[in-house]
Amino acid sequence: MMNRDIHLTAQDLLRAMQFKPGDFGEIAIVSGQPQRVQMALEKLKNPLRNFSAMGYTLWTGEYKGKRVTVGHGGMYAPDAALITELLCAGGVECLIRLGSCGAMKKDIEIGDYVIAEGAIRGDGVTRYYVKDGFQPKADPELTQKLFSLCKKHAHKGLVWTTDALLRETKDFVNGAIAQGAIAVDMVTSPFFTIAQLYNKRACAVLVVSDNLITGEIGFADIRVFDAERRLIERGFDLVREV
Amino acid sequence: MGKLEMIAHTKDGGGLTMRVLFLQPPLGWWAAWKKHIANNVAHAQLAANIREWYPEIEIKVLDTRALGMDEKQMVDAITELNPNLIYMGDALQTTGVAAIHPRYQQAAKVIKQVLPDVKICVGGFFYGANAPAMLEKTPEFDFVVAGETERTVPELAKELSKSDPDIPSVRGLAYRDENGEVKLTEYRPLIENLDDLPLPAYDLFPMDKYVGFNYIRHYVETYMTRGCPNGCRFCVGWTNYDPRGNHDWTHYRPRSPKLMADEMELLVKRFGAKFICMMDEDLNVYRERMEGLIEELKRRNLKVPFFFMGRAPYHLRDRDLLKPLREVGFVCGLFGMEAVDKETLEAIKKGTTVDEVAELVGLFRENNIMSVVTWMVGFPEDDEQRIKDRVERLDLMDPDMAALQILTPLPGIPLYKQLEPYTEEWNLLKWDFQHAVLRTKHLSRQDLGRLAAWANREFYSKPGRVQRILYDKRYHPFCRLIARVYVETAGKEHAQAAVEDKIFV
Repeated sequence: MMNRDIHLTAQDLLRAMQFKPGDFGEIAIVSGQPQRVQMALEKLKNPLRNFSAMGYTLWTGEYKGKRVTVGHGGMYAPDAALITELLCAGGVECLIRLGSCGAMKKDIEIGDYVIAEGAIRGDGVTRYYVKDGFQPKADPELTQKLFSLCKKHAHKGLVWTTDALLRETKDFVNGAIAQGAIAVDMVTSPFFTIAQLYNKRACAVLVVSDNLITGEIGFADIRVFDAERRLIERGFDLVREV
Repeated sequence: MGKLEMIAHTKDGGGLTMRVLFLQPPLGWWAAWKKHIANNVAHAQLAANIREWYPEIEIKVLDTRALGMDEKQMVDAITELNPNLIYMGDALQTTGVAAIHPRYQQAAKVIKQVLPDVKICVGGFFYGANAPAMLEKTPEFDFVVAGETERTVPELAKELSKSDPDIPSVRGLAYRDENGEVKLTEYRPLIENLDDLPLPAYDLFPMDKYVGFNYIRHYVETYMTRGCPNGCRFCVGWTNYDPRGNHDWTHYRPRSPKLMADEMELLVKRFGAKFICMMDEDLNVYRERMEGLIEELKRRNLKVPFFFMGRAPYHLRDRDLLKPLREVGFVCGLFGMEAVDKETLEAIKKGTTVDEVAELVGLFRENNIMSVVTWMVGFPEDDEQRIKDRVERLDLMDPDMAALQILTPLPGIPLYKQLEPYTEEWNLLKWDFQHAVLRTKHLSRQDLGRLAAWANREFYSKPGRVQRILYDKRYHPFCRLIARVYVETAGKEHAQAAVEDKIFV
């Protein structure tokens, strides 16, 4: 039987990676997609790769005089939980997620933005962190600023996080809509949950890549590519205001 | 008075007038290029030749595609223009390869219904190598030019203006004799010196109406050379030439750097050209000519972005010229890979290695020149493995753009006989390099189309590449707009052509 409370904490893992305080900036911009990470990295002055383990890489550099960490923030709930917790434990105070989602309202178009005010927990990983009634929430001030920055084509609301991309069935989807969800993704729930547990400020803006109501699929649509590009700009615009 | 005589001697203000109309009939564009309405430089060149050599001949131009006219509007306009001779033809494959023929034929048909006496001549790309056969198959046409059109069309116009035209004396022409039999006149030798030709008569064309790659206004297509010394066996350039010549396509003739720069300067200063695409197959054969062009453009301080097609070995030979070329406006260049295995490259006589192409991709990137690599599917030995290996190699090479062509068995190309048995689709509207019209030994026509669509979509949805070609500011904005069209059409229009057989040209 294991006698320790927990096998591996975020601090244990950071220590194992020879991480030292200050390796992360106070602000982190994370994404699950390598092209977004690359575009964000190009915005940094003098970026240093301070963390690279298990396929996740994070760089810290300067943007308008602020130290900012950018990198892979996870594509799915379990790895998003891991990286979010490492960032929180590593001293990041403000987390900005640049993600993608499927819209659950007819009038939200491919290439629009969803600004997540909170998450509906359809994932499996957060139950290891919080009890059933817990409601993950975004930092309201950051969220409002983000919404103002993305205003054109931006929609604010709850995001349902699922673990099963190919099981977004009518019952599950309509159930989430009934709870107020306007979009679905695979990350936001653990991202907000863990940030809240660590008392950090977090916000998430998601590019709409498909629409569950209209059935439109736009994963390789030029509108998504363009929106991704603007997403990076908006993320860094927010950094200026933080 | 004979019939020809009546046509030739139309009364106009008391004088005898011969009117030649250069007609671009309603037609579309390549699926992968979205809305692409380019000027017809072959028409502009022929118009200039007639104007210089036979100033008494009246020249009219009707580019229905640029003016957004439909068939009826075209016929009404032609009725008003009242030409004696209508010419349709292109020198560049970029208008749609052989798919232009059904469009020309349809135009000729409706024109003849209203103006039965007007003479209709076609020539240039696709027709040049197949003049008698195409005339035989197309009763709507009166003449088809065999080989180069530059001298033949003006001479035909001149001959038709005479009271007793001697058509057999016009070399390089398929015509019908008094019994309706198709005849081919004597072989017309090539123009030896392109500098003998006047600059294209752009002033006759609606130059402000042309659009390249859906987004680029004030777009111009031109050509500065004829032929290519390499003569790849699949190349559609062969179809401009009379097979009775001595491999005429390989007889390379460039315009001098001075005239080239003269033309570019004219396009910029008089017609407001914002982007010039030189669509001849092989601009960079001679180093000294490229040096001359750089000097001329520098001296004139033109600063117009331009594109040209060249061969990788010549670029590598002249690698030190890439930087100065970029400085004078060379923002995007195309060169061919076609295949990756030695056997296929030898079979098509490509004369380039994949390593050379890969090295050049790197050099272009170093110099902020967007690279476009052409590649093909549909060789007789192609199976899924071979095509996917080709995609893999292309992906590793990572050019900015990959222009995929589905091999099309055009009569006149050296590979034609070899490809003919594999041809399954004879509707020429699909012979545009974007549809699968043949099978291979191992793939059905449909499977080939699906693989082509898959490969193109794979290339243009790769994370990192897409962001580079759409947003990297090292590349000229027009290059990024061209890339945008390829990204937009991959998986959509391109797939609709390759998989669903949808017609675009």
